Amino acid sequence: MTPAISVTGLGRRYRNHEALAGVTFEIGTPCIAGLVGRNGAGKTTLLRILGGQEFATSGQVRVLGAEPLENDAVLRRIVLVREDQTYPDLKVRHAIAAASLMYPNWDADLAATLVDAYELPPSRPIKKLSRGMRTALGITIGLAARAEVTLFDEPYAGLDAVARTLFYDQLLADYTAHPRCILLSTHLVDEAAELLDRIVVVDHGRLVLDAATDDLRGTATTVTGPARDVERFIAGRTTLSTRTLGTNTRAVMVGRLDSRDRELAGHLRLRLEGLTLQQLAVHAAERHDPSALTAAEAS
Amino acid sequence: MRATPIGNVVRYLLVDRVTFLLLPWAWAAFGFVLDVVILQLTPAGHSDRRWVGGLAAAFLVVFVLGVQSVANALPFALSIGVSRRTYFLGVTSLALALAVCFGLVVTAGQGVESATGGWGMHMAYFRVPYLLDGPWYRSWLTAATLFVLLFVYGMWYGLIHRRSGLPGTMVFGAAQLGVLALAAVIVTGLHGWNRVGHFCTALTAVGLTGILAAAVAVMLAGGFATLRRLTV
Repeated sequence: MTPAISVTGLGRRYRNHEALAGVTFEIGTPCIAGLVGRNGAGKTTLLRILGGQEFATSGQVRVLGAEPLENDAVLRRIVLVREDQTYPDLKVRHAIAAASLMYPNWDADLAATLVDAYELPPSRPIKKLSRGMRTALGITIGLAARAEVTLFDEPYAGLDAVARTLFYDQLLADYTAHPRCILLSTHLVDEAAELLDRIVVVDHGRLVLDAATDDLRGTATTVTGPARDVERFIAGRTTLSTRTLGTNTRAVMVGRLDSRDRELAGHLRLRLEGLTLQQLAVHAAERHDPSALTAAEAS
Repeated sequence: MRATPIGNVVRYLLVDRVTFLLLPWAWAAFGFVLDVVILQLTPAGHSDRRWVGGLAAAFLVVFVLGVQSVANALPFALSIGVSRRTYFLGVTSLALALAVCFGLVVTAGQGVESATGGWGMHMAYFRVPYLLDGPWYRSWLTAATLFVLLFVYGMWYGLIHRRSGLPGTMVFGAAQLGVLALAAVIVTGLHGWNRVGHFCTALTAVGLTGILAAAVAVMLAGGFATLRRLTV
């Protein structure tokens, strides 16, 4: 089956800055994938290339089986909602009406529901909206478009916790009813962790991790306790980091734990905590070598 | 029946009907009122036509519409699944349609102007000497060409600004002045000002309209070339 998104050796260079280099991954459909990385990692550039807004310097991009750049047939099946979206001098209802023209699967009822839920004033000019309201407008358009490939770039920037929860709920409900490929870049990985089927981590323009979230959960554990006991516990295992403070050591080790490991940890009075997706993404970005994580994921 | 992608771009831009349909004529009406006031305050003289320039407001606003059609509206269009080429064709279609309709408004205004003796005060508001002073069909053609020219010229400026920011826009403006200066230097070097003067005096309004139409084609080509590699 053709993947919804297929990127091979993708690079984007701006004079002296390499925004993306040799990025290769595929995302099937239906799927909700998280695109994670630090500021300036290349997330927005990647999404812009997928949405046909930016040009690649090298490599190949396929969305729904075809090159998206200047391809109307593909572009009308993609929506890209950006955090820094520039809107025309229109009112909220006009922007929604404009977006509805472009998408054959546009859901006017969902748009109306979201406008109400986010308390968006339909007759207010967009330039007079607060940052959170502009974000909510982007979310409304992104979800109501029901595009087969939905790209969200930091979709909840400026939204409060209540509004973010509303977004997660709406996204999940709509995705369940209308499965499709949704790729969202985010810094709040743990908050969105329950939604994500897959996680793609980029750092300094390079792909450092691409894995199913179910495979990643439990692949790394933080072990905390007396230094000697921690050292004994992690002996022979791959560690991502070790930090000793006084007599206590905190080590992050890779590898799934079995019942004997847990029994030993209990015996040694060690505290075990599974790494969250956010922490895994941070480690992947720091190490630039996901092989340890992916090896553990495979084991 | 669903509209074509180009039709959707036209509809997208016309979501803001007030700006694209009413604003030029609101400014034209303002210019009309100002001209009336000025004519009331100044001596009539012996001419049977009192030329005024208020109609220029409508043409200037159309230039601004051209800028607006890409400076603000383009990034959102690209986000909602429109390609650059389709957007360009949509905006150009809108420019042509508006120009044809606005040209008709000018022609109709000339008709009313003639029927009312220049609004009862010999005012030539919809007529411009030499340019828009012939039969109705010629005025229509010339006005429509002027409208589309100003729209696509504004659009090209908007595209340059979106692609290169203020520095690029300044260079673009300066480059045009540079081309004119170079042309003047060449004509001077070839001692060709007599021929230029003869060409200008011999040029009919229809001939000028043809030159303006050629300029439209150049600007469309330049605008599309600018848009092709534009990123948002």
